Amino acid sequence: MKTLSLKNLRKTYFDPYAGSQVTAVHDVSLDVEQGEFVSVVGPSGCGKTTILNMIAGFIPYTGDEILIDGNLVKGPGPDRGVVFQSFALFPWKTVLENVGFGPKMRGVPKDERDRTAREYLALAGLSHAADRYPNELSGGMQQRVGVVRALANNPAVLLMDEPFASVDAQTRMTLQEELTRIWQERKPTVIFITHDVAEAVFLANRVVVLSKGRVLDQIKVDLPRPRVWDHLIEDETFKRLSAQVLQMVRAA
Amino acid sequence: MNIALRFWSGYVRTTHRWPIIATIVPFIPVVAIWSIVANSGMFPRAFFPAPVDVMRSFISLTYKGILPDYLQDSLIRLLFGATIGVALGIPLGILIGSSRLAHRICWPVLLFFQAIGDIAWLPILLIWFGFGLTTMTFVIVYTVLFPIVLSTVLGVQSVHRDLARAAQSLGASPMRVLWEVTLPGALPNIITGLRNGLGYGWRALIAVEIIVGTSGIGFMMFDARRAGSTVEILLGMIVLGTLWYIVDAWILAPIERATGQRWGLVTS
Repeated sequence: MKTLSLKNLRKTYFDPYAGSQVTAVHDVSLDVEQGEFVSVVGPSGCGKTTILNMIAGFIPYTGDEILIDGNLVKGPGPDRGVVFQSFALFPWKTVLENVGFGPKMRGVPKDERDRTAREYLALAGLSHAADRYPNELSGGMQQRVGVVRALANNPAVLLMDEPFASVDAQTRMTLQEELTRIWQERKPTVIFITHDVAEAVFLANRVVVLSKGRVLDQIKVDLPRPRVWDHLIEDETFKRLSAQVLQMVRAA
Repeated sequence: MNIALRFWSGYVRTTHRWPIIATIVPFIPVVAIWSIVANSGMFPRAFFPAPVDVMRSFISLTYKGILPDYLQDSLIRLLFGATIGVALGIPLGILIGSSRLAHRICWPVLLFFQAIGDIAWLPILLIWFGFGLTTMTFVIVYTVLFPIVLSTVLGVQSVHRDLARAAQSLGASPMRVLWEVTLPGALPNIITGLRNGLGYGWRALIAVEIIVGTSGIGFMMFDARRAGSTVEILLGMIVLGTLWYIVDAWILAPIERATGQRWGLVTS
Protein backbone atom coordinates (compact mmCIF):
# COMPACT_ATOMS: atom_id res chain seq x y z
CA MET A 1 0.00 0.00 0.00
CA LYS A 2 1.36 3.39 -0.99
CA THR A 3 1.60 5.79 1.93
CA LEU A 4 3.18 8.64 0.02
CA SER A 5 2.88 9.38 -3.64
CA LEU A 6 4.49 12.28 -5.51
CA LYS A 7 3.29 12.85 -9.07
CA ASN A 8 5.32 15.17 -11.32
CA LEU A 9 6.18 17.39 -8.41
CA ARG A 10 7.56 20.72 -9.58
CA LYS A 11 8.75 23.89 -7.91
CA THR A 12 9.37 27.10 -9.76
CA TYR A 13 9.74 30.48 -8.20
CA PHE A 14 10.36 33.99 -9.46
CA ASP A 15 13.76 35.43 -8.69
CA PRO A 16 13.19 39.21 -8.42
CA TYR A 17 16.92 39.98 -8.66
CA ALA A 18 17.55 37.89 -11.77
CA GLY A 19 14.10 38.83 -13.11
CA SER A 20 13.39 35.28 -14.27
CA GLN A 21 11.71 32.01 -13.28
CA VAL A 22 13.94 29.49 -11.56
CA THR A 23 13.05 25.81 -11.43
CA ALA A 24 14.32 24.12 -8.26
CA VAL A 25 12.50 20.80 -8.71
CA HIS A 26 11.67 19.23 -12.12
CA ASP A 27 8.80 16.75 -12.29
CA VAL A 28 9.82 14.41 -9.50
CA SER A 29 7.67 11.30 -9.13
CA LEU A 30 8.10 8.93 -6.21
CA ASP A 31 6.03 6.27 -4.45
CA VAL A 32 6.75 5.17 -0.91
CA GLU A 33 5.22 2.01 0.56
CA GLN A 34 3.94 1.82 4.10
CA GLY A 35 6.75 1.00 6.52
CA GLU A 36 9.48 1.86 4.06
CA PHE A 37 12.59 3.83 4.98
CA VAL A 38 13.66 5.99 2.05
CA SER A 39 16.78 8.15 2.09
CA VAL A 40 16.99 11.06 -0.32
CA VAL A 41 20.58 12.03 -0.96
CA GLY A 42 22.16 14.69 -3.14
CA PRO A 43 24.57 17.61 -3.16
CA SER A 44 23.48 20.92 -1.66
CA GLY A 45 21.19 22.84 -3.96
CA CYS A 46 19.77 19.67 -5.53
CA GLY A 47 16.28 20.47 -4.23
CA LYS A 48 16.01 17.80 -1.54
CA THR A 49 14.97 20.14 1.24
CA THR A 50 12.56 21.90 -1.14
CA ILE A 51 10.89 18.55 -1.84
CA LEU A 52 10.60 17.80 1.87
CA ASN A 53 9.14 21.24 2.57
CA MET A 54 6.55 20.68 -0.16
CA ILE A 55 5.57 17.29 1.25
CA ALA A 56 5.36 18.82 4.74
CA GLY A 57 3.12 21.54 3.31
CA PHE A 58 5.40 24.37 4.43
CA ILE A 59 5.71 25.78 0.91
CA PRO A 60 3.21 25.58 -1.97
CA TYR A 61 4.00 23.25 -4.85
CA THR A 62 3.28 23.19 -8.54
CA GLY A 63 2.98 20.05 -10.63
CA ASP A 64 0.38 17.33 -10.34
CA GLU A 65 -0.11 16.19 -6.76
CA ILE A 66 1.20 14.97 -3.43
CA LEU A 67 -0.90 12.21 -1.86
CA ILE A 68 -0.70 10.89 1.70
CA ASP A 69 -2.77 7.72 2.06
CA GLY A 70 -4.68 8.92 -1.00
CA ASN A 71 -5.39 12.40 0.43
CA LEU A 72 -4.19 15.51 -1.34
CA VAL A 73 -1.67 17.63 0.62
CA LYS A 74 -2.86 21.20 1.22
CA GLY A 75 -0.56 22.69 3.83
CA PRO A 76 1.00 21.28 6.99
CA GLY A 77 -0.84 18.59 8.95
CA PRO A 78 -0.39 16.00 11.69
CA ASP A 79 -0.32 13.12 9.17
CA ARG A 80 3.25 14.21 8.35
CA GLY A 81 5.58 14.38 11.34
CA VAL A 82 8.68 16.50 10.77
CA VAL A 83 12.11 16.26 12.41
CA PHE A 84 14.15 19.42 11.84
CA GLN A 85 17.86 20.00 11.54
CA SER A 86 17.40 22.83 14.06
CA PHE A 87 15.57 20.39 16.41
CA ALA A 88 12.77 23.01 16.76
CA LEU A 89 11.87 22.00 20.31
CA PHE A 90 9.71 24.49 22.19
CA PRO A 91 12.14 26.08 24.68
CA TRP A 92 9.35 27.06 27.11
CA LYS A 93 8.02 23.53 27.39
CA THR A 94 9.59 20.63 29.27
CA VAL A 95 10.70 17.55 27.37
CA LEU A 96 7.50 15.77 28.45
CA GLU A 97 5.34 18.68 27.25
CA ASN A 98 7.21 18.80 23.96
CA VAL A 99 6.59 15.11 23.27
CA GLY A 100 2.95 15.43 24.39
CA PHE A 101 2.34 18.44 22.13
CA GLY A 102 0.85 16.51 19.20
CA PRO A 103 -1.63 14.58 21.38
CA LYS A 104 -2.47 17.86 23.17
CA MET A 105 -3.43 19.44 19.84
CA ARG A 106 -5.71 16.46 19.20
CA GLY A 107 -7.44 17.11 22.53
CA VAL A 108 -6.07 14.04 24.35
CA PRO A 109 -6.53 14.49 28.14
CA LYS A 110 -3.40 15.35 30.14
CA ASP A 111 -3.03 11.99 31.95
CA GLU A 112 -3.24 10.06 28.75
CA ARG A 113 -0.86 12.24 26.74
CA ASP A 114 1.66 12.21 29.59
CA ARG A 115 1.52 8.42 29.56
CA THR A 116 2.04 8.34 25.78
CA ALA A 117 4.90 10.84 26.05
CA ARG A 118 6.62 8.81 28.79
CA GLU A 119 6.31 5.66 26.74
CA TYR A 120 8.01 7.34 23.76
CA LEU A 121 10.69 8.90 25.96
CA ALA A 122 11.48 5.43 27.27
CA LEU A 123 11.81 4.24 23.67
CA ALA A 124 14.59 6.80 23.16
CA GLY A 125 16.15 6.17 26.58
CA LEU A 126 15.17 9.64 27.82
CA SER A 127 12.89 8.83 30.77
CA HIS A 128 15.21 10.65 33.18
CA ALA A 129 14.99 13.92 31.20
CA ALA A 130 11.18 14.23 31.14
CA ASP A 131 10.98 17.29 33.38
CA ARG A 132 13.96 19.18 31.99
CA TYR A 133 13.88 22.05 29.54
CA PRO A 134 15.43 21.59 26.07
CA ASN A 135 18.27 24.05 26.70
CA GLU A 136 19.42 21.82 29.58
CA LEU A 137 20.04 18.90 27.19
CA SER A 138 22.92 18.09 24.83
CA GLY A 139 22.35 18.35 21.08
CA GLY A 140 22.08 14.58 20.70
CA MET A 141 19.48 14.35 23.46
CA GLN A 142 17.53 17.27 21.99
CA GLN A 143 17.26 15.55 18.64
CA ARG A 144 16.17 12.28 20.30
CA VAL A 145 13.33 14.35 21.76
CA GLY A 146 12.67 15.79 18.29
CA VAL A 147 12.33 12.29 16.83
CA VAL A 148 10.01 10.88 19.50
CA ARG A 149 7.93 14.07 19.53
CA ALA A 150 7.16 13.45 15.85
CA LEU A 151 6.61 9.70 16.43
CA ALA A 152 4.31 10.20 19.43
CA ASN A 153 1.80 11.86 17.14
CA ASN A 154 1.51 8.69 15.02
CA PRO A 155 2.08 10.31 11.63
CA ALA A 156 1.53 8.42 8.38
CA VAL A 157 4.97 9.61 7.23
CA LEU A 158 7.97 10.78 9.20
CA LEU A 159 9.86 13.52 7.33
CA MET A 160 13.43 14.02 8.50
CA ASP A 161 15.43 16.96 7.17
CA GLU A 162 19.15 16.35 7.80
CA PRO A 163 18.27 15.72 11.45
CA PHE A 164 21.74 14.64 12.55
CA ALA A 165 23.76 17.24 10.64
CA SER A 166 24.34 19.48 13.64
CA VAL A 167 25.60 16.94 16.19
CA ASP A 168 29.15 15.65 16.56
CA ALA A 169 30.34 12.60 14.60
CA GLN A 170 30.25 10.07 17.49
CA THR A 171 26.80 11.15 18.63
CA ARG A 172 25.62 11.02 15.02
CA MET A 173 26.58 7.33 14.74
CA THR A 174 24.77 6.51 17.97
CA LEU A 175 21.69 8.39 16.82
CA GLN A 176 21.74 6.57 13.48
CA GLU A 177 21.89 3.19 15.22
CA GLU A 178 19.07 4.20 17.56
CA LEU A 179 16.97 5.37 14.65
CA THR A 180 17.30 2.01 12.87
CA ARG A 181 16.38 0.24 16.13
CA ILE A 182 13.30 2.42 16.65
CA TRP A 183 12.34 1.96 13.01
CA GLN A 184 12.51 -1.82 13.40
CA GLU A 185 10.34 -1.69 16.52
CA ARG A 186 7.68 0.68 15.19
CA LYS A 187 8.02 0.42 11.38
CA PRO A 188 7.12 4.04 10.59
CA THR A 189 7.25 5.24 6.98
CA VAL A 190 10.27 7.54 6.76
CA ILE A 191 11.64 10.03 4.23
CA PHE A 192 15.15 10.90 5.35
CA ILE A 193 16.94 13.82 3.68
CA THR A 194 20.72 13.91 3.90
CA HIS A 195 23.87 14.86 2.00
CA ASP A 196 25.83 12.14 3.82
CA VAL A 197 26.05 9.08 1.54
CA ALA A 198 27.08 6.59 4.24
CA GLU A 199 24.23 7.77 6.46
CA ALA A 200 21.73 7.38 3.61
CA VAL A 201 22.83 3.79 2.89
CA PHE A 202 23.16 2.83 6.56
CA LEU A 203 19.58 3.79 7.41
CA ALA A 204 17.47 3.05 4.35
CA ASN A 205 15.69 0.30 2.47
CA ARG A 206 15.99 2.46 -0.62
CA VAL A 207 18.22 5.40 -1.55
CA VAL A 208 16.94 8.03 -3.97
CA VAL A 209 19.73 10.05 -5.60
CA LEU A 210 18.74 13.57 -6.50
CA SER A 211 20.56 15.97 -8.79
CA LYS A 212 19.62 19.42 -10.03
CA GLY A 213 16.01 18.87 -9.06
CA ARG A 214 15.68 15.50 -10.80
CA VAL A 215 15.71 11.89 -9.59
CA LEU A 216 18.95 10.46 -10.94
CA ASP A 217 18.54 6.89 -9.75
CA GLN A 218 17.11 4.71 -6.99
CA ILE A 219 19.04 1.95 -5.27
CA LYS A 220 17.62 -0.81 -3.09
CA VAL A 221 19.55 -1.51 0.10
CA ASP A 222 19.14 -5.12 1.26
CA LEU A 223 21.53 -5.04 4.18
CA PRO A 224 20.43 -7.18 7.14
CA ARG A 225 19.09 -5.57 10.30
CA PRO A 226 19.78 -4.66 13.04
CA ARG A 227 22.36 -2.41 11.50
CA VAL A 228 25.37 -1.53 13.61
CA TRP A 229 28.33 0.57 12.50
CA ASP A 230 30.88 -1.87 13.98
CA HIS A 231 29.68 -4.53 11.53
CA LEU A 232 28.72 -2.47 8.52
CA ILE A 233 31.90 -0.41 8.36
CA GLU A 234 33.72 -3.57 7.12
CA ASP A 235 30.78 -5.02 5.19
CA GLU A 236 31.45 -5.55 1.46
CA THR A 237 27.85 -4.90 0.34
CA PHE A 238 27.70 -1.71 2.39
CA LYS A 239 30.99 -0.49 0.93
CA ARG A 240 29.92 -1.32 -2.62
CA LEU A 241 26.54 0.41 -2.28
CA SER A 242 28.09 3.47 -0.63
CA ALA A 243 30.70 3.74 -3.36
CA GLN A 244 28.04 3.41 -6.03
CA VAL A 245 25.88 6.18 -4.50
CA LEU A 246 28.90 8.38 -3.86
CA GLN A 247 29.98 8.21 -7.51
CA MET A 248 26.52 9.25 -8.61
CA VAL A 249 26.37 12.13 -6.17
CA ARG A 250 29.82 13.39 -7.12
CA ALA A 251 29.17 13.09 -10.85
CA ALA A 252 25.91 14.95 -10.42
CA MET B 1 43.19 42.24 56.44
CA ASN B 2 41.61 39.27 58.12
CA ILE B 3 38.98 41.44 59.74
CA ALA B 4 38.21 43.13 56.43
CA LEU B 5 37.78 39.76 54.75
CA ARG B 6 35.57 38.51 57.51
CA PHE B 7 33.48 41.69 57.32
CA TRP B 8 33.15 41.27 53.55
CA SER B 9 32.10 37.64 53.92
CA GLY B 10 29.50 38.63 56.50
CA TYR B 11 28.20 41.38 54.18
CA VAL B 12 27.90 38.99 51.23
CA ARG B 13 26.03 36.45 53.33
CA THR B 14 23.72 39.06 54.87
CA THR B 15 22.86 40.63 51.52
CA HIS B 16 22.26 37.17 50.10
CA ARG B 17 19.64 36.58 52.77
CA TRP B 18 18.19 40.10 52.68
CA PRO B 19 18.83 41.53 49.20
CA ILE B 20 17.22 44.82 50.26
CA ILE B 21 20.33 45.63 52.29
CA ALA B 22 22.41 45.48 49.12
CA THR B 23 20.04 48.07 47.63
CA ILE B 24 20.24 50.44 50.59
CA VAL B 25 23.96 50.34 51.35
CA PRO B 26 25.13 52.19 48.17
CA PHE B 27 22.88 55.12 49.17
CA ILE B 28 24.54 55.57 52.55
CA PRO B 29 27.47 57.65 51.16
CA VAL B 30 25.08 59.66 48.94
CA VAL B 31 22.90 60.59 51.89
CA ALA B 32 25.96 61.21 54.08
CA ILE B 33 27.52 63.67 51.61
CA TRP B 34 24.17 65.38 51.14
CA SER B 35 23.80 65.70 54.91
CA ILE B 36 27.32 67.10 55.37
CA VAL B 37 26.87 69.70 52.63
CA ALA B 38 23.47 70.75 53.97
CA ASN B 39 24.73 71.07 57.55
CA SER B 40 27.96 72.87 56.62
CA GLY B 41 26.08 76.13 56.19
CA MET B 42 27.33 76.58 52.63
CA PHE B 43 23.75 77.22 51.49
CA PRO B 44 20.72 78.52 53.37
CA ARG B 45 18.67 75.62 54.74
CA ALA B 46 15.48 76.78 52.99
CA PHE B 47 17.36 76.66 49.69
CA PHE B 48 19.19 73.37 50.24
CA PRO B 49 17.42 71.25 52.86
CA ALA B 50 19.05 68.35 54.68
CA PRO B 51 17.89 64.69 54.58
CA VAL B 52 16.33 65.16 58.02
CA ASP B 53 14.11 67.98 56.71
CA VAL B 54 12.93 65.86 53.81
CA MET B 55 12.26 62.96 56.15
CA ARG B 56 10.22 65.25 58.42
CA SER B 57 8.25 66.51 55.44
CA PHE B 58 7.68 62.89 54.34
CA ILE B 59 6.24 61.99 57.74
CA SER B 60 4.09 65.10 57.95
CA LEU B 61 2.71 64.79 54.39
CA THR B 62 2.05 61.08 54.90
CA TYR B 63 0.30 61.83 58.20
CA LYS B 64 -1.87 64.49 56.56
CA GLY B 65 -2.69 62.00 53.83
CA ILE B 66 -1.54 64.28 50.99
CA LEU B 67 1.37 62.13 49.87
CA PRO B 68 -0.54 58.81 49.84
CA ASP B 69 -3.41 60.45 47.93
CA TYR B 70 -1.13 62.00 45.32
CA LEU B 71 0.85 58.80 44.98
CA GLN B 72 -2.34 56.84 44.47
CA ASP B 73 -3.53 59.30 41.82
CA SER B 74 -0.25 59.05 39.92
CA LEU B 75 -0.11 55.26 40.09
CA ILE B 76 -3.72 54.81 38.99
CA ARG B 77 -3.12 57.11 36.02
CA LEU B 78 -0.01 55.17 35.07
CA LEU B 79 -1.75 51.82 35.50
CA PHE B 80 -4.79 52.93 33.53
CA GLY B 81 -2.70 54.32 30.66
CA ALA B 82 -0.31 51.38 30.68
CA THR B 83 -3.15 48.84 30.57
CA ILE B 84 -4.60 50.50 27.48
CA GLY B 85 -1.11 50.75 25.99
CA VAL B 86 -0.45 47.04 26.54
CA ALA B 87 -3.90 46.06 25.26
CA LEU B 88 -3.24 47.98 22.03
CA GLY B 89 0.49 47.41 21.75
CA ILE B 90 0.79 43.63 21.99
CA PRO B 91 -1.85 42.79 19.32
CA LEU B 92 -0.48 45.54 17.06
CA GLY B 93 3.06 44.22 17.54
CA ILE B 94 1.99 40.67 16.77
CA LEU B 95 0.19 41.81 13.62
CA ILE B 96 3.15 43.85 12.37
CA GLY B 97 5.62 41.15 13.39
CA SER B 98 3.86 38.29 11.67
CA SER B 99 2.49 39.94 8.52
CA ARG B 100 4.89 41.31 5.96
CA LEU B 101 2.14 43.47 4.47
CA ALA B 102 1.19 44.95 7.84
CA HIS B 103 4.87 45.60 8.48
CA ARG B 104 5.30 47.46 5.19
CA ILE B 105 2.23 49.59 5.83
CA CYS B 106 2.62 50.31 9.53
CA TRP B 107 6.36 50.54 10.10
CA PRO B 108 7.07 53.96 8.50
CA VAL B 109 3.98 55.46 10.16
CA LEU B 110 5.05 53.96 13.48
CA LEU B 111 8.54 55.43 13.27
CA PHE B 112 7.13 58.82 12.25
CA PHE B 113 4.86 59.01 15.28
CA GLN B 114 7.52 57.61 17.58
CA ALA B 115 9.68 60.60 16.69
CA ILE B 116 7.00 63.02 17.93
CA GLY B 117 7.75 62.79 21.62
CA ASP B 118 4.95 62.47 24.14
CA ILE B 119 5.30 66.05 25.37
CA ALA B 120 5.18 67.40 21.83
CA TRP B 121 1.55 66.27 21.72
CA LEU B 122 0.55 68.37 24.73
CA PRO B 123 -0.24 71.68 22.97
CA ILE B 124 -2.73 70.08 20.60
CA LEU B 125 -4.08 67.73 23.27
CA LEU B 126 -4.77 70.62 25.62
CA ILE B 127 -6.81 72.31 22.89
CA TRP B 128 -8.69 69.11 22.08
CA PHE B 129 -9.25 67.58 25.50
CA GLY B 130 -8.45 70.37 27.96
CA PHE B 131 -6.71 69.95 31.32
CA GLY B 132 -7.95 66.54 32.38
CA LEU B 133 -7.62 62.80 32.59
CA THR B 134 -8.12 62.28 28.84
CA THR B 135 -5.03 64.33 28.04
CA MET B 136 -2.96 62.53 30.65
CA THR B 137 -4.14 59.09 29.58
CA PHE B 138 -3.45 59.89 25.94
CA VAL B 139 0.14 60.87 26.70
CA ILE B 140 0.80 57.78 28.82
CA VAL B 141 -0.77 55.39 26.33
CA TYR B 142 1.23 57.08 23.60
CA THR B 143 4.49 56.76 25.55
CA VAL B 144 3.94 53.17 26.65
CA LEU B 145 2.70 52.01 23.26
CA PHE B 146 5.85 52.42 21.15
CA PRO B 147 8.38 50.46 23.22
CA ILE B 148 5.83 47.65 23.56
CA VAL B 149 4.96 47.54 19.85
CA LEU B 150 8.60 47.68 18.78
CA SER B 151 9.70 44.97 21.24
CA THR B 152 6.74 42.75 20.37
CA VAL B 153 7.57 43.03 16.67
CA LEU B 154 11.17 42.13 17.45
CA GLY B 155 10.03 39.27 19.68
CA VAL B 156 7.67 37.80 17.08
CA GLN B 157 10.34 38.05 14.38
CA SER B 158 12.91 36.39 16.62
CA VAL B 159 10.83 33.21 16.96
CA HIS B 160 12.51 30.62 14.73
CA ARG B 161 10.37 29.74 11.70
CA ASP B 162 10.89 26.03 12.36
CA LEU B 163 9.07 26.31 15.72
CA ALA B 164 5.85 27.44 14.04
CA ARG B 165 6.32 24.76 11.37
CA ALA B 166 6.88 22.09 14.01
CA ALA B 167 3.68 23.12 15.80
CA GLN B 168 1.72 23.10 12.54
CA SER B 169 2.93 19.64 11.58
CA LEU B 170 1.96 18.42 15.05
CA GLY B 171 -1.58 19.54 14.31
CA ALA B 172 -1.72 23.08 15.74
CA SER B 173 -4.27 25.47 14.19
CA PRO B 174 -3.14 29.07 13.46
CA MET B 175 -4.68 30.22 16.76
CA ARG B 176 -2.87 27.48 18.66
CA VAL B 177 0.41 28.41 16.93
CA LEU B 178 -0.11 32.00 18.07
CA TRP B 179 -0.85 30.91 21.64
CA GLU B 180 1.66 28.07 22.03
CA VAL B 181 4.57 29.35 19.94
CA THR B 182 4.45 33.00 18.88
CA LEU B 183 3.41 34.50 22.21
CA PRO B 184 5.73 32.54 24.52
CA GLY B 185 8.56 33.01 22.01
CA ALA B 186 8.03 36.76 21.98
CA LEU B 187 7.39 37.01 25.73
CA PRO B 188 10.92 37.90 26.90
CA ASN B 189 11.02 40.76 24.41
CA ILE B 190 7.50 41.86 25.31
CA ILE B 191 8.47 42.06 28.97
CA THR B 192 11.55 44.09 28.13
CA GLY B 193 9.30 46.40 26.12
CA LEU B 194 6.91 46.66 29.04
CA ARG B 195 9.76 47.50 31.34
CA ASN B 196 10.97 50.29 29.04
CA GLY B 197 7.44 51.47 28.33
CA LEU B 198 6.50 51.76 32.00
CA GLY B 199 9.76 53.59 32.68
CA TYR B 200 9.08 56.15 29.94
CA GLY B 201 5.41 56.32 30.93
CA TRP B 202 6.28 57.10 34.53
CA ARG B 203 8.52 59.99 33.46
CA ALA B 204 5.95 61.28 30.97
CA LEU B 205 3.26 61.16 33.65
CA ILE B 206 5.25 63.42 35.99
CA ALA B 207 5.88 65.87 33.15
CA VAL B 208 2.19 65.92 32.26
CA GLU B 209 1.13 66.31 35.89
CA ILE B 210 3.38 69.35 36.15
CA ILE B 211 1.63 70.98 33.21
CA VAL B 212 -1.90 69.58 33.39
CA GLY B 213 -2.22 68.31 36.91
CA THR B 214 -4.55 68.99 39.72
CA SER B 215 -3.06 66.20 41.83
CA GLY B 216 -0.27 63.62 41.71
CA ILE B 217 3.43 63.57 42.51
CA GLY B 218 4.33 65.83 39.59
CA PHE B 219 1.70 68.31 40.66
CA MET B 220 2.95 68.19 44.24
CA MET B 221 6.46 69.07 43.11
CA PHE B 222 5.34 71.93 40.88
CA ASP B 223 2.97 73.24 43.51
CA ALA B 224 5.82 73.21 46.02
CA ARG B 225 7.88 75.33 43.64
CA ARG B 226 5.15 77.98 43.71
CA ALA B 227 5.29 77.92 47.52
CA GLY B 228 9.08 77.86 47.43
CA SER B 229 9.20 74.58 49.36
CA THR B 230 12.43 72.90 48.29
CA VAL B 231 11.80 70.15 50.83
CA GLU B 232 8.70 68.90 49.02
CA ILE B 233 10.40 69.10 45.62
CA LEU B 234 13.24 66.91 46.85
CA LEU B 235 10.76 64.59 48.53
CA GLY B 236 8.91 64.21 45.20
CA MET B 237 12.13 63.37 43.41
CA ILE B 238 13.05 60.74 45.98
CA VAL B 239 9.59 59.19 45.83
CA LEU B 240 9.87 58.94 42.04
CA GLY B 241 13.21 57.18 42.16
CA THR B 242 12.29 54.84 44.98
CA LEU B 243 8.98 53.84 43.51
CA TRP B 244 10.46 53.06 40.12
CA TYR B 245 13.21 51.03 41.72
CA ILE B 246 10.64 48.93 43.58
CA VAL B 247 8.51 48.33 40.50
CA ASP B 248 11.47 47.48 38.30
CA ALA B 249 13.62 45.44 40.65
CA TRP B 250 10.90 43.63 42.56
CA ILE B 251 8.26 43.06 39.90
CA LEU B 252 9.50 43.44 36.31
CA ALA B 253 13.03 42.07 36.57
CA PRO B 254 11.94 38.83 38.33
CA ILE B 255 9.32 38.21 35.62
CA GLU B 256 11.99 38.70 32.98
CA ARG B 257 14.24 36.22 34.77
CA ALA B 258 11.48 33.64 35.19
CA THR B 259 10.77 33.47 31.45
CA GLY B 260 13.57 34.11 29.00
CA GLN B 261 16.50 33.09 31.15
CA ARG B 262 14.83 29.92 32.37
CA TRP B 263 14.22 28.81 28.79
CA GLY B 264 17.66 29.74 27.56
CA LEU B 265 16.27 32.35 25.17
CA VAL B 266 18.41 35.08 26.68
CA THR B 267 21.65 34.55 28.52
CA SER B 268 21.77 35.93 32.00
